[in-house]
Amino acid sequence: MNDRARVVVFTCNWSGYSGLEAAGGARLGFPASVFPLRVTCLGRLSSGVILKAFEKGAAGVLLLGCPPGECHYQFGNHRAEEVLAEARQLAGLLGYRREQLKLDWVDAGDGEAFVTKVRDFIAGLNGK
Amino acid sequence: MERLPSVMSQNRVWYCLDCGKCSAVCPITRWETRQYTSPRLLVEKAVQGHPDEVLDDPLFWSCLTCKRCSELCPSGVYFSEFLRDARAMAQEKGQKGECSHSEVIQVWGRIMAHANPAQDRLGWIDGDLRVSHDSDVLYFVGCLPYYDALFKKIGCEGIEIARAAIRILNHLGIEPQVLADERCCGHDQLWEGDWETFQALARLNLEQIQASGAQQIVTTCPECARTLKLDYPRLVGGHPLRVFHLTEFLAQPGIGDRLNLKAEDMSPTVTYQDPCRLGRHLGVYDAPRQLMDRLGLHRIEMGRTGKASLCCGTSCWTQCGQVSKNIQVERLREAKATGAECLVTACVKCQIHFKCAQSDPALREELGIDIRDLTTLLAERLGDGTKAEPS
Repeated sequence: MNDRARVVVFTCNWSGYSGLEAAGGARLGFPASVFPLRVTCLGRLSSGVILKAFEKGAAGVLLLGCPPGECHYQFGNHRAEEVLAEARQLAGLLGYRREQLKLDWVDAGDGEAFVTKVRDFIAGLNGK
Repeated sequence: MERLPSVMSQNRVWYCLDCGKCSAVCPITRWETRQYTSPRLLVEKAVQGHPDEVLDDPLFWSCLTCKRCSELCPSGVYFSEFLRDARAMAQEKGQKGECSHSEVIQVWGRIMAHANPAQDRLGWIDGDLRVSHDSDVLYFVGCLPYYDALFKKIGCEGIEIARAAIRILNHLGIEPQVLADERCCGHDQLWEGDWETFQALARLNLEQIQASGAQQIVTTCPECARTLKLDYPRLVGGHPLRVFHLTEFLAQPGIGDRLNLKAEDMSPTVTYQDPCRLGRHLGVYDAPRQLMDRLGLHRIEMGRTGKASLCCGTSCWTQCGQVSKNIQVERLREAKATGAECLVTACVKCQIHFKCAQSDPALREELGIDIRDLTTLLAERLGDGTKAEPS
């Protein structure tokens, strides 16, 4: 897997996306192969949407949401964990490795954390 | 849709007499309340040359292709097949039905067809289950590992059905082959008009099936059985293997009669749901019933049974909604009315759809009936060793 491998990052509107915006404002760079997608809450994702990213050629799918216990909608990141578990099981059967799909969080407005987590995820894909 | 007339000819649509027998039995016609729809009306729209109206008809995507209408049609119109072929034309134009479960089932089908991953799908073969690489019999698992992941939460037996099938075959001294990279058979893709994915899946499966050297394919999914038996040879490529649903396989003289089944004192009273693909599509009605009788189960038939059986309400994971739910509730009420303790079926999808309807808290008590696959019922009643001589 190379650095150009496409990575889809689902960001929740409140923390993940806020981190992305802050990273942009601070001109913190991340690889151009990253495709961020904003959703209102990660709890609204489904295993179908996550697997669709793989179907369309993503080498990795990262979900970035609110910190534990701080979901804007209270239970969204708990729901996201359930969705992730289902998607992981299906992706595993299809032959995708565990490190190709991950759920993580960033604090609202923390651009540096956003960039670090995205870079770490890509490094994990490359086995570094 | 310019090819619609030729699809109508292939499927005898021009022969419709407008008699309406199909409409009297169509489960969708009965429950679709938003707009009147029926097989007869859809055919009339096609015959009168209004392809756009055909496409807009609610039945176009929601038809279960259960073939109930074809059982009664005096003109032999292949209505289900007509829609299957017309849907392929509609998909070429970019139209499709509404996918349930966030399209995840269609997505994994397309990944298997095009992304070429190395699946990790045999983790369930453990313990005392025995498989081999050179058996005459190939067990085609189908999407059971995937349904297990998706529907365990509603109590679907899932991969237990596959384990049970291997246990039954092992009991008969057969250590079947299983394919490490078997793909979805493509049944749903074919019937919802995704012709491209169906063909890709079929070719990948045919390559592996032919390379296996097996002579017979056994499945526990009626849809896989139909697709491998009828659709692969007709539409993609022939293969010399004989295809059986497990119940059919066990019904053969010298095979099923070697099963050593434990008779139980307190066997539950059961009723049987004929899966559309096993019954009306493949004509297998007696084999599962014989097996239930051999298990000593007291079987009570529902009012609509055999050729007149009612479908489980959803097909191809498409257009699931109020109409599907109403059909499922109607059928579960019918099953409950027999007084049986257990609804037995031979298709994992019937089980998933009925268990989904049962998960409605408002209906849980009213529709509460145990639902089991015949395969797992059989496997848990296997005795030690086979019968020495066929009876």
